[in-house]
Amino acid sequence: MNQDQVISRLQRVFDNIFLEPVQLTPQLSAQDVEEWDSLTQISLMVAVEKEFNVRFRVGEVEATKNVGEFADLIVRRVNGN
Amino acid sequence: MELRELLIRKDPLFWPQLREQSGQASNFETLISLCTLRKRAEAAGLAPAEPQETLRIAFLGGCSLYPLNELARHMLSVEGYACEVFTGDFDNYVSEIMDEASALYRFAPQVVFLLPSPGRCKYQGRWTDARQVQQAQAVETASQLLDLCRRVYERTGAEVLLSNFILPGGFDPGAYRTRTLASDWSFRKMVNLELGLNAPPYVHLCDLEFLAYRRGATASEDARGWFETKQPCAPDLLADIAKEIAVLVRGFRKGHKKVLVLDLDNTLWGGVVGDDGLEGIEIGDTSPRGEAFKTFQRYILSLAGRGILLAVSSKNDHEKAIEPFDKHPEMVLRPQHFVSFKANWNPKSENIREMAAELNLGLDSFVFVDDNPAEIEIVRQFLPEVSTILLGPDPAAYTRELQDSRYFEPRSITAEDAGRTAQYRQEAERRTLLASATDMDAYLASLEMEATLREFNPIDAPRIAQLINKSNQFNLTTRRRTEAEVLELAGDPGAAAFTIRLRDRFGDHGLIAVIIAKIVPGKGGPVFEIDTWLMSCRVLKRQVEQETLNEIARLARLHSCAEIRGVYIPTAKNGMVRDLYPQMGFRPASGSETHTEYLLDTGAYEAVPTQIRITGRSYESRSSHFASTASF
Repeated sequence: MNQDQVISRLQRVFDNIFLEPVQLTPQLSAQDVEEWDSLTQISLMVAVEKEFNVRFRVGEVEATKNVGEFADLIVRRVNGN
Repeated sequence: MELRELLIRKDPLFWPQLREQSGQASNFETLISLCTLRKRAEAAGLAPAEPQETLRIAFLGGCSLYPLNELARHMLSVEGYACEVFTGDFDNYVSEIMDEASALYRFAPQVVFLLPSPGRCKYQGRWTDARQVQQAQAVETASQLLDLCRRVYERTGAEVLLSNFILPGGFDPGAYRTRTLASDWSFRKMVNLELGLNAPPYVHLCDLEFLAYRRGATASEDARGWFETKQPCAPDLLADIAKEIAVLVRGFRKGHKKVLVLDLDNTLWGGVVGDDGLEGIEIGDTSPRGEAFKTFQRYILSLAGRGILLAVSSKNDHEKAIEPFDKHPEMVLRPQHFVSFKANWNPKSENIREMAAELNLGLDSFVFVDDNPAEIEIVRQFLPEVSTILLGPDPAAYTRELQDSRYFEPRSITAEDAGRTAQYRQEAERRTLLASATDMDAYLASLEMEATLREFNPIDAPRIAQLINKSNQFNLTTRRRTEAEVLELAGDPGAAAFTIRLRDRFGDHGLIAVIIAKIVPGKGGPVFEIDTWLMSCRVLKRQVEQETLNEIARLARLHSCAEIRGVYIPTAKNGMVRDLYPQMGFRPASGSETHTEYLLDTGAYEAVPTQIRITGRSYESRSSHFASTASF
């Protein structure tokens, strides 16, 4: 799985959580979306871990700066490294 | 998702659906998404049909209280509470509570939720300390927490929801954990027990130990969540806590359900008695299914033992339906366990409506249980106030389904609860006698009634609080009070608060009336103001009202009040006492749509004799004190 594939799956997860549609791009970050507050963030993490069947390690999601880096992290976790 | 559709169409069905789905939601994601939909509906101006009650609730704790506060607000909102929320700072609860000038007290909460830090629930000594030393520290830890609750309560009058401690899910230190109180496992268990057993009435335990046990200890912990955002536990357990908060608030604000209405065929036994006959139904220890039904009956009987009234509504011929209760040796439930038994071909909604009238109880005190979705649907449509439980396909799960409905959770269990079925059955016998008696006075005389009046006291406090919070119909002001407030009134010299117990030749009604009066200043000296007057409807028309007024007048004289002031505050349910005061000789004094006052001159009132023999009056020690002072 690559970044593009992960982002298109992420899009579905986001669509279920955000009230207003959010178009995901690798450059998009939480600051760009009004609705993307800490509550949404927690829901997103729970949903993403379930969708991709992964478990992020402490602190690593916080270290990603945008959707692209987050997708890369998912790719690494899905591939088991 | 259908809810989204309803929201887009601004359909009023959105709220009942949202409420139902929120009740069923068993994980964090589902609850969060429902929470988001609710906010969106609110923003779009789609308001719930029923009026919301405002609730000022504060969240304090040794962790981040966000998003727990959001989830709890959501669950309270779908229960009908519009919340104003105060959220304490991370791990700042001790100073928030101790500092009288803190923002918490400026907020003036009605409910405080406190989730203490597990870090403060740890044995501080050595593994080798004597057991008494370890035990003393556990007791001390619990009493410090209860002391914090007491401070909050004394400063704000708020009900306190106190979380206890989740037990650790890790193996360390192995099986040795149970042999010492120095292990986190045993120490927290002991503290939790101390909290529960010593909690005063205004403290409501939010049993995290149980909730985490139910979900599984390792699934309840979330170390990463703690390090990242100071979450107290795994997200799914947050959802459980939020739901528990709503159940607890509903419990002390509204009380629990009173009547369980049961279907028969495939609910209390397997098969259809009308077709299969007495010998053909499945009940009893000879088959696994029969044993499951029998166990379900045992659970139902245990509910009756704590004051829940049982009733039957079944589509059957009466003779066929009653036969197993009379004759089948394996049945646990017998005819005397039911206050109403309606086996006929009428719609079940009609049967339940009749029961409500016969028992003098509101429809919202009823829970209806059936295995047939069509019957459940009829009741839901025609009697939306009645709660319903649709049983699943497996009788082995029936007991759990009833338990998990959470309709019958008592705040406390009083001695009156155990005898409730008998009381309602005796009432049926009295009605039979009434039907045969032609003269009301002769009928009342034949009842041989005796009443005992008594001032508030700690022993009666739980039952008094229970009545204050459950009575809706014969209730002049519907002012709710907690058990702790009742205890305060017991010692208040500026108040006169008494209860009435009634018995007759058919049995004991127990404590059935509560009166609270306040001695307030007026133009012509102190006025005896009736703050609360409520009575159980099962003793209506028995002259208890008259004896109540006799006692009120006596106490008003004792307090040198020239006037007695009665207050009526109308609600959706207390129409039956709208004219009580004028009927009893009071004159209207002032009035509005929402609050009417009446006056009665104490001097002009003469005690009206009744058919009730009074075996004791309230404040007798004080009366004799007054009398002896007067004789000097």
